[in-house]
Amino acid sequence: MARKNSGKGAGAPQVTTVVVMRLYIAGSAPNSVKAIANLQAICDQHLKNSYRLELIDVCEYPQRALADGVLVTPSLTKVSPGRTANIIGNLSDTGSVMAALGLHTRAAE
Amino acid sequence: MTLDAQLAARSPSKSEAAAAFQTWIRRVVTGAAELRALDDGQLDAIIDPATGNAIMLPAAQVVLHGSRRIVRNAFDALPSGICVLDPTGTVVMTNRAWRAFAVARAGAGLGIGEGGNFLVACRNADAGERVHALAVAVGLRRVLDGSLSQFRRDYACRSPGGNCAFTLIITGPANNASPHVIVTRENVRERKQTRASHGRGRARRNRIVTLARAGTPNRLLASLPARDYARLRGSLEPVTLTYGEILFEPGQPMRHVYFPSDCVVSLLTIVEGHRALEVGLVGREGMVGSRLALGSTQSSVRALVQGTGAAVRIASARFLRAFRESPALQRTMLRFADTLMTQVSQTAVCNCFHVVEERLARWLLMTRERLQTSEFHLTHEFLADMLGVRRVGVTTAASSLQRQKLIRYQRGNIRILDQRGLEAAACACYQQVRIKDPDARSA
Repeated sequence: MARKNSGKGAGAPQVTTVVVMRLYIAGSAPNSVKAIANLQAICDQHLKNSYRLELIDVCEYPQRALADGVLVTPSLTKVSPGRTANIIGNLSDTGSVMAALGLHTRAAE
Repeated sequence: MTLDAQLAARSPSKSEAAAAFQTWIRRVVTGAAELRALDDGQLDAIIDPATGNAIMLPAAQVVLHGSRRIVRNAFDALPSGICVLDPTGTVVMTNRAWRAFAVARAGAGLGIGEGGNFLVACRNADAGERVHALAVAVGLRRVLDGSLSQFRRDYACRSPGGNCAFTLIITGPANNASPHVIVTRENVRERKQTRASHGRGRARRNRIVTLARAGTPNRLLASLPARDYARLRGSLEPVTLTYGEILFEPGQPMRHVYFPSDCVVSLLTIVEGHRALEVGLVGREGMVGSRLALGSTQSSVRALVQGTGAAVRIASARFLRAFRESPALQRTMLRFADTLMTQVSQTAVCNCFHVVEERLARWLLMTRERLQTSEFHLTHEFLADMLGVRRVGVTTAASSLQRQKLIRYQRGNIRILDQRGLEAAACACYQQVRIKDPDARSA
């Protein structure tokens, strides 16, 4: 379900830089709605205000997704810091999402 | 048209169409993570690389179809007429109220249906409503080009169904994702009726509160929030207190607490079992029995009614219950207890250091504030007891004030002639103990 390319190893759960993400969704389809809620919960708990999230609705902008190499939704792309990482699905697997975002906490381990 | 539908149209049976769709999905989705999410039912849509369109998966389609029905029903249930315009001004969606208006008014009042263009309708409006219609067209163009976020226009027209007046509200796109414009038609008469009915409701509530408090001009009760006053109201009992009546004696339990309306109660300390000295004066600004709020059930003073008048009382147990339950009542009572303590200590100082004439002037002013009248009946003996002096001392002081034309004193009837002059004649203690409420001073 998850594909991650993050090169970061396990370390202290410190967030000092802004995490930039893009979430591709399909309107108000059920998995897209769940993905938004799950990501929001993770961001609120671990990133506070240190993140920037761009929501892209593929029903409105399919070409944008295609140009970014995204073929399925919901799909989350971590743009920065570090390497780009993608995670597919409704983001209910918190550990995988946190690993993809480089948030190595005890919970993720 | 979804890919599922396209395939279904081409395929001889539904099952074959579904199989073909699954085959297409497996051809497009090749990554392990994507396939895992697909098998777990966590995907909503796939983007067709050939056409660049987003194709909804069947499970998502079912849910969205249900959601759209709910939204549509809610849209139709709204009482205001609403239509949605695309960026060219063409009506792409209307609700039931909008359609009903269009049918009833035969197209008057810009009542156009889906597929019609709003700007064209404005241009073609009848002469009777052309001024309004052209103004709406200008506003709509500004909303469409983004120079205005919302436009409102009161609109009146004639139609086969009779004259009608409404307000058109044109609201621009909320975000870049949806370039559509919403037009809302609010019926003016209904809006006015709604406002009037709200106004009537407010006025009625205010009247009820006013009526409920009308019988209790006591300032303490009047200062309570409506909910806290309502808690006490059922237990309040109107009583008439008569001159010379003793409400409490020192050391006796306080069975009731009293809230004077237009009478005055003196708080007297008893010395050597028979001599009394006034230490406090309570009228419509306060209550008699405030020690209950401080945790004591017995009176420490004699409470003697000075002037016949109305009051309300409440049984001590009920008062204590309300006191425990109401933070507002607690604050009010403790504030008054503090005020009374200030008055008692100031009176003690006054009795010790100031001459009888000054003290008499203070006492007359305090009584006037509490009785809300400049004329009252008091004998020399009574005044002597209140001030803790001999009768002759009161006679001398009253004569002096009369000579200065500040009061008139005749056979026990006292009339204050010059309030400002009397204030000047009183000692500085009066400024410390006077009622801070301006209403109470404007007798």
